Amino acid sequence: MKIPYSWVREFVDLTLTAEQAAERLVNAGIEVASVTPLAPDLKGVVVGEIEAVERELGQGHGGYPLFLCRVSTGREHYSVVCGAPNTKVGVRAAFAPPGAVLPGGRRIAAAKIQGVESQGMLCSERELGIGEEHEAGILEVPDARPGADLVAELGLDDQVLEVEVTPNRPDCLSVLGIARELAALTGARMRPSAIKLAESGEAAKSLARVRIEAPDLCHRFTARVIRGVTIGPSPSWLRARLRAVGLRPISNVVDVTNYVLWELGQPLHAYDYDTVADATIVVRRARADERFTTLDGQERVLDPSMLLIADPQRAIGLAGVMGGANTEVTDRTTRVLLEAAWFAPASIRRTSRALGLRTDAAYRFERGADVEGLVTASARAAALIAETAGGTIARGVVDAYPRKRKAQHVRLRMARVKRVLGVAPSPTQARKVLTGLGLAVTSRGADLDVTVPSFRRDLSMEDDLVEEIIRVWGYDRIPSTLPGGAISLVTHPVSLRQGQTVRRALVGAGLAEVVTYAFSDPARAELLRRPADPKPVELMNPLAQDASLLRTHPLEGVLGAVSTNVRRQQADVRVFEVTKTYVQTGRAEPGRASLRPPSVEAGLTDPATTEPRWVAIALTGARGEGGWSGAPEPVDVYDAKGMAEHTLAALGVRAGSGDAGGLSGFEPDCHGTLVTEQGEVVAEFGEVAAALRESFGVTATVFAAVVSLDAVGAASAAALSYQALPRFPAVERDLAFVVGAEQSLTAAQIESALREAAGPLLRRLVLFDVFRFPDGRSSLAWRLLFQAEDRTLTDAEVNAVQERVVRRITETFHITLRSS
Amino acid sequence: MAHPRVDAIVEQARAAVAAAQSSSDLEAIRVGVLGRQGSLTQLLRSLGTLPPEERPLVGAAANVAKRELEGLLDARLAATAEAERQAERRRRRLDLTLPGRRPPMGSLHPLTRVHDEIVSIFAGLGFSVVEGPEIESDYHNFEALNIPRDHPARDMQDTFYLSDSTLLRTHTSPVQIRAMLDKKPPVRIIVPGKVYRRDVVDMTHSPMFHQVEGLAVDRAITMADLKGTLELFAREMFGPRSKIRFRPSFFPFTEPSAEVDVLCFACHGDGCRVCKQTGWLEILGSGMVHPQVLKNVGYDPEEVTGWAFGMGIERIAMLKYGIDDLRLFFENDLRFLKQFA
Repeated sequence: MKIPYSWVREFVDLTLTAEQAAERLVNAGIEVASVTPLAPDLKGVVVGEIEAVERELGQGHGGYPLFLCRVSTGREHYSVVCGAPNTKVGVRAAFAPPGAVLPGGRRIAAAKIQGVESQGMLCSERELGIGEEHEAGILEVPDARPGADLVAELGLDDQVLEVEVTPNRPDCLSVLGIARELAALTGARMRPSAIKLAESGEAAKSLARVRIEAPDLCHRFTARVIRGVTIGPSPSWLRARLRAVGLRPISNVVDVTNYVLWELGQPLHAYDYDTVADATIVVRRARADERFTTLDGQERVLDPSMLLIADPQRAIGLAGVMGGANTEVTDRTTRVLLEAAWFAPASIRRTSRALGLRTDAAYRFERGADVEGLVTASARAAALIAETAGGTIARGVVDAYPRKRKAQHVRLRMARVKRVLGVAPSPTQARKVLTGLGLAVTSRGADLDVTVPSFRRDLSMEDDLVEEIIRVWGYDRIPSTLPGGAISLVTHPVSLRQGQTVRRALVGAGLAEVVTYAFSDPARAELLRRPADPKPVELMNPLAQDASLLRTHPLEGVLGAVSTNVRRQQADVRVFEVTKTYVQTGRAEPGRASLRPPSVEAGLTDPATTEPRWVAIALTGARGEGGWSGAPEPVDVYDAKGMAEHTLAALGVRAGSGDAGGLSGFEPDCHGTLVTEQGEVVAEFGEVAAALRESFGVTATVFAAVVSLDAVGAASAAALSYQALPRFPAVERDLAFVVGAEQSLTAAQIESALREAAGPLLRRLVLFDVFRFPDGRSSLAWRLLFQAEDRTLTDAEVNAVQERVVRRITETFHITLRSS
Repeated sequence: MAHPRVDAIVEQARAAVAAAQSSSDLEAIRVGVLGRQGSLTQLLRSLGTLPPEERPLVGAAANVAKRELEGLLDARLAATAEAERQAERRRRRLDLTLPGRRPPMGSLHPLTRVHDEIVSIFAGLGFSVVEGPEIESDYHNFEALNIPRDHPARDMQDTFYLSDSTLLRTHTSPVQIRAMLDKKPPVRIIVPGKVYRRDVVDMTHSPMFHQVEGLAVDRAITMADLKGTLELFAREMFGPRSKIRFRPSFFPFTEPSAEVDVLCFACHGDGCRVCKQTGWLEILGSGMVHPQVLKNVGYDPEEVTGWAFGMGIERIAMLKYGIDDLRLFFENDLRFLKQFA
């Protein structure tokens, strides 16, 4: 919100510069994003009056005719070419004579336009850098003296504070609020209000009636009547102020309501009195599907949760959000009905959001306006209307106030201040702070009884006052201490420990960890979905259609990372992610909580989703970095499997090869699993399905593995335990078997039979060679290590075992021992 | 002492050693003479078959010969081996400027690095880690934290909704609620995790990012304790010269609330590009747990007080590593990631 500093100083007697004031505000929690001069680089621009329009020069850029005008600055006269639509004799406007400087360092010099010399330039708001307006033409300053300096004339020698007010401080959404805050922070005095209200004639009460039918949504509604107004442009000072805060001047009456909104924070609305039936305002809920056309010309469909301002016949305004087209102030308006009201914040917020209509008025009402302060705002606006549009103000105000605000009293214990902050000012100091903020304070022993004014809706309990005290007294007065109390054991969840273990192992194995977005593309989810899968978790309001789901497959993240890198000319990608998928369970769980205060029972429902945890690994390109001693081999499925095995080993989980996996996204003939002895699938690996990787734009083969951290957690690692080192020498034997081309026999099958046949003397079994003959037979060679715990094995003993093993294997599987 | 049978063996061995070309030749001689089946060993083993009067003579001679041959072999072996190593080095012509053969180097994501660092600092201060779901109920994420429906405070965090009552958590604070509902005070936890805001991706915004939340609730815990704890954290995280300052702010679930700035570690407060000339860097939001929040979880605000803080891991990582674009964290370009190996 833009706050011109000169305006603030109308309310409070400050000796600070704008920058200093901004710093004080920031230190008290009112963010000031910037302090900028209003018109930083305007030099030599003055008020010029068009004395004569001498001739037309043809079409200009804007499609309007270009005119050669005589412009007077009082003493001097200039020949100026101007193509603005409002070029007219008698118009006084911003004029940059040769030598003047416009924003961006643009120096004005005499120039030829359409063959005619133009001595300077009549300027629009945009050209002056003080507003957005350009189409309407040159900036008119009707009541200014020709030759006067424009910067001074428009109050442009000012600083503007861009304040960002947190939602709890609606009272600071105005010039007055900022002034009040600065007074409290600096001890400066507020200037007394200077509203000169000249009321006369009939009483407002006899001119207008107000009936509130929804007192829960409208606590107060006041109306004033101003008669005999002449609608026209506002005076320069008013227009300049509005422009300075980023508002577009419209006409005097409307401008005044906007001005007072900015100044006092109270939204106001001016109705054309003669369009309101029976001069009667009815504040009521909208009927279902009631239609209403707002000021912006849009027809809106309403519902009974929305509050309307109506007359006995029809709706005339969307309460607190926007007025209606049917009662708008126009050029022909002579009598004005001025509304100042208080609407329930939640209702305004709902209405404004439901209709997508965010207005300055709604912004303030939904944060909470000042129900007591609105009478002053109404008087201020009435006085300004009379000043700028003429007319007389009817006596008094129609004030419907069915829900009178109760005084807010809060007890502040000084002991509480100390308890919360660890430090406290003296009661005298505390009292001074609170009084400075406009709160009424009386002492009660060591404590304070505080009465909160209507504009501080955020102060409703003791700790709110604690914050006010330290905010003003200074956060830098809080000392630094460390919490005491009993020491208790620090514990970390299994998931955290698992994550750390996995990361250590895989980073050690040369993989790069990635972190990716959890969002997913419905097209991809469809590709990965199997018939029995639950529907993916879907966002109601995604940022983009291709990010409207949550990840359903653990590999989505790492494949995205592969894709990014391959596209960026990095063909060798070996990455992993400790990640989650998001799954609908279809039923909401009762919330987990061992303590259940009755007050929250209702809210304690957990979402009907689970978040399975995974390690996802993707490998493509070469196995290693490569170098002068030889090109590295390309990765294959055994690398993926190896990474899964490595991960499981690091987690202390023993697993062996299992049957085909259940996850989608792998090539069917290259997809394996690792299962624990209990038969739990803890990992799957394989070649990533071509359709899946192609959906990521990856043409190279990708191998992947996923480890289920949930399954691993359930398979809890065996406790580490030392086993004595062997004391007697070991005997090594190599055995190679030849498997026929037609036989479907796996290494795992042979291996398990080998182990069984070899018995307890077999200490280690390593498959060290796999070879395929041209005719399709394969040779698998194992190294067997025999060792006894209590003696040195003799050749004879080992030979006997070896013979047993060979016999068992060859007979069971009908395969032959390969002769060396 | 000499004995003809021994002398013969020694003579033969000496000649063989003299003729040996390589260490393997020498090794063969050693085996042939001194090994288990070696000639001298055999001789010694056959002492029993000799006449008793010869035994000591042959035995003594053989032992002398054994020592001599061992010495001879060792000396020749040492010389030969050295010559062979030299020859081998010459043959290999090593260029030690060739790059070494390194195992592949993995890398930890920078966000993990910072996460781990934060967790370990607070673990050292007695904070246990607690985690919670990313898909949350509106109740835990907002209502219980004093952010009712139709309250403008909801604008502070633009939210992804899954239904009217479920959403992607916008902060890690709902885990505060979960933790307090699970346990009586004292509570001293930190909560790391992913959070979501409906912000379009740019250099400083991301619809998903990471936070670490801290919460301490006990009988006598004050805002001064919060300041002291965070000061310690800042010194561990950003170096021993770090200072922090508190600025008033607003969060619906804390009262009083404070933004915390750390003294710019690039310029130590003088003002520079990193801190946009302010001398300070905003790093986290914090405050005393709002009494209403304590009531919501069944704690008595007259019995216990508490404080909480929340910081963005990306923000800390950007400051710590001088990263100027948030998007880099989620693009996962290996050339970026490998800088954190």
